[in-house]
Amino acid sequence: MQGVLTELRKTFSNVVAVDDGSEDGSAAEIMKAGAVLVRHAVNLGAGAAMETGLAYALAQPGATYFVTFDADGQHQVHDAAAMVALLRTGEIDVALGSRFIESGEAQGIPRSRRLLLQAGRRFESMTSGVSLTDAHCGLRAFNRAFAQQIRLKLRGMAHASELLDVLKRSGLRYREVPVTVLYTAYSMKKGQKSINSVNIAMDVWLHQLFSRRAGR
Amino acid sequence: MSVIKAILVVAIVAAALWALRHRENVGLRAGGRLLLFAVGALAIVSVAVPDITQKAADAVGVQRGTDLVLYGLIITFVFTSAGLYFRQRDLEYRFATLTRALAIHQAVEPADLTGSIPELPDSTA
Repeated sequence: MQGVLTELRKTFSNVVAVDDGSEDGSAAEIMKAGAVLVRHAVNLGAGAAMETGLAYALAQPGATYFVTFDADGQHQVHDAAAMVALLRTGEIDVALGSRFIESGEAQGIPRSRRLLLQAGRRFESMTSGVSLTDAHCGLRAFNRAFAQQIRLKLRGMAHASELLDVLKRSGLRYREVPVTVLYTAYSMKKGQKSINSVNIAMDVWLHQLFSRRAGR
Repeated sequence: MSVIKAILVVAIVAAALWALRHRENVGLRAGGRLLLFAVGALAIVSVAVPDITQKAADAVGVQRGTDLVLYGLIITFVFTSAGLYFRQRDLEYRFATLTRALAIHQAVEPADLTGSIPELPDSTA
């Protein structure tokens, strides 16, 4: 992970890393890499960790563009840079990474995972009304207008779906950008199990059913 | 299944959805609590007069008194579970907000050479 952060710091001067209550050496690695260390006292899950990182970044004066980047080495720094460049043109407010859009790549992806992600995509476009080629890519870039609207209530990986919900309601302009995602042994080990998709689907569905008017 | 049964089932589902969407409504919560008292009173009555569940079942066209009690139990269980699910989720969100505020407060910036890694609370305590 330290390598990922060091690599990021070569292109992006302000890097915030959220340690989600881990007891291994993550916090020390983050400090060595020269990133801002924000440490959850207890484990809260990926969605909450992302929101924490954004909350910290939003509090920094002058922060205009925000990138979410997985620290396990599956994303490429140049992809993130290309997304920010696209935001700078002012054509869009949100850039979403996609492995499956033309010229995007998912290297070493197991066939089962590919099928599952495609099923997830169909579920996503049904429930959120946002039609994407890749619903669960962790690499995204967006401007302040979108960052400020992100409030995630769903635990676990369902936050990716909830984020699309926020995106749809915001009415902001978005585009998918082809990215390369590396499926390394490390990222597969740190990543989620396929069966978790059942939990994700259930959470999203319940959320959609009951939370419309109750507000967030 | 007769038409009236279908209508009843649909009505129960609709009422459940409506109640859960408006779960923050004060009147509804008060109603729920009053209902709890009513159920408690009914339980006492049915212990004192065991035949009464059968009579109630006959009155609404259910075959056995125990079935009627079972239906009531199922509906109560569903509502209670759903209520607890949402309450737990709201609590989790508050908990996350608190942890987030703490984490940002203790954030260590790279330039801050005196900064040390924020300690995790002792989970074994």
